[in-house]
Amino acid sequence: MQGSTRRMGVMTDVHRRFLQLLMTHGVLEEWDVKRLQRHCYKVHDRNATVDKLEDFINNINSVLESLYIEIKRGVTEDDGRPIYALVNLATTSISKMATDFAENELDLFRKALELIIDSETGFASSTNILNLVDQLKGKKMRKKEAEQVLQKYVQNKWLIEKEGEFTLHGRAILEMEQYIRETYPDAVKICNICHSLLIQGQSCETCGIRMHLPCVAKYFQSNAEPRCPHCNDYWPHEIPKVFDPEKERESGVLKSNKKSLRSRQH
Amino acid sequence: MLQKPRNRGRSSGQAERDRDWSHGGNPGASRAGEDARVLRDGFAEEAPSTSRGPGVAGPSPQGARRAQAKQLELKVSELVQFLLIKDQKKIPIKRADILKHVIGDYKDIFPDLFKRAAERLQYVFGYKLVELEPKSNTYILINTLEPVEEDAEMRGDQGTPTTGLLMIVLGLIFMKGNTIKETEVWDFLRRLGVYPTKKHLIFGDPKKLITEDFVRQRYLEYRRIPHTDPVDYEFQWGPRTNLETSKMKVLKFVAKVHNQDPKDWPAQYCEALADEENRARPQPSGPAPSS
Repeated sequence: MQGSTRRMGVMTDVHRRFLQLLMTHGVLEEWDVKRLQRHCYKVHDRNATVDKLEDFINNINSVLESLYIEIKRGVTEDDGRPIYALVNLATTSISKMATDFAENELDLFRKALELIIDSETGFASSTNILNLVDQLKGKKMRKKEAEQVLQKYVQNKWLIEKEGEFTLHGRAILEMEQYIRETYPDAVKICNICHSLLIQGQSCETCGIRMHLPCVAKYFQSNAEPRCPHCNDYWPHEIPKVFDPEKERESGVLKSNKKSLRSRQH
Repeated sequence: MLQKPRNRGRSSGQAERDRDWSHGGNPGASRAGEDARVLRDGFAEEAPSTSRGPGVAGPSPQGARRAQAKQLELKVSELVQFLLIKDQKKIPIKRADILKHVIGDYKDIFPDLFKRAAERLQYVFGYKLVELEPKSNTYILINTLEPVEEDAEMRGDQGTPTTGLLMIVLGLIFMKGNTIKETEVWDFLRRLGVYPTKKHLIFGDPKKLITEDFVRQRYLEYRRIPHTDPVDYEFQWGPRTNLETSKMKVLKFVAKVHNQDPKDWPAQYCEALADEENRARPQPSGPAPSS
């Protein structure tokens, strides 16, 4: 056991079923995670009070510690939704991805990743990525094929596509933040508020510091005159709203009946 | 311009990172057998000793012991993740693959790593690591948690086909005396609107599913019947089916579909009962490999 001060938790079938089902999703939104938790309690322990999600997950993580994996919580960069993924703590590479993709496909991802990190907006255009197809390691790949591979990355929630441009999915950031910060320490952008890796965000036009959209939303909440936390200059961008899970659910319930997690697109 | 990894002052070169990238990272295996020997020594002795043999100087016995323990944990972790990922695709995992992709230089302590991984898989995830058939050196994970209908809604993937085409075929095989001709399977499935040559809305390519995918996943055995013209094949249950379900469970499924009681098929019911008794008897072999 590691020299950890955290007392090791106990796994019950509730936790095991939760973990099994969580693993079938690459990443899951908090609302769905809570639903999943309630389902597992219902199956094994109807009368027990459902643990607070944070405690529930901390308990599981204390057991996962010896396996160098953990259920990590993050927030989507575009609209601040809380998400969860099971991530690897030990290796700094993408072992999960490596089993689903061939050598040239992985290299394509790496090229896209480098373009994304290097870009000003956090997005890399499809054209720019496809132009690098000749430089890929492994079997030769045509542009048409590369387009499909990029779609495969979108389907598996490693990349997000918006109007022909690609950025990292929240899942990829959760899984690979450590790897990215270690591999590209001079090129990565960091959020001035939360100090985590930043791919998409807003930046101060005077001093250049950057902030995640959800961090901007929280920091400038109900502030009539938003100013840069670093240089105090007027913050010129539109301040997004803080993500409100209650409001989100209300509109969801009005729209449709209970949907299964399978049909939900993240 | 983006600082490329090869210019980094990191100790590992580009080549090793490439290897990490595509082979899922192997923090321990890239080192020489030296580590493996030190690790093995750590296993054998309980009390720390100040002299651990030639050539192993440097860190205190305390520090070395902790480092060994961590190396061991990392290896077990890799093995657990490897098995989980491989099993998700429902392809039995070959011992040779485990040795090649995960164990590497730690071959000597493979049985111990294996045992620890099996224990973790059971305690943490609720999966039992079992050998597909005795002496086959291939393994699968069996879920010790009973699947529940609502699980299907909560999944992010297809899951094991507990209901659906596979169950129907398994039911057919059992009810027909544990073996059935392929032509008979299609005669039956046609009545449900499932054809070997036509794309199906839910099952996609039923012929491929039944004769290839389910066979590869070891749910079914598919053998050519000799001296048949035109060529015909026969289906039987595969080794995975016997591990993941049982004759009684399949009989209950068939009964449910017909809205009847399993006892309405006395011959099959007796056979299923006998199978249950067999399973209740304690099994001799555990998951650990023989050498």
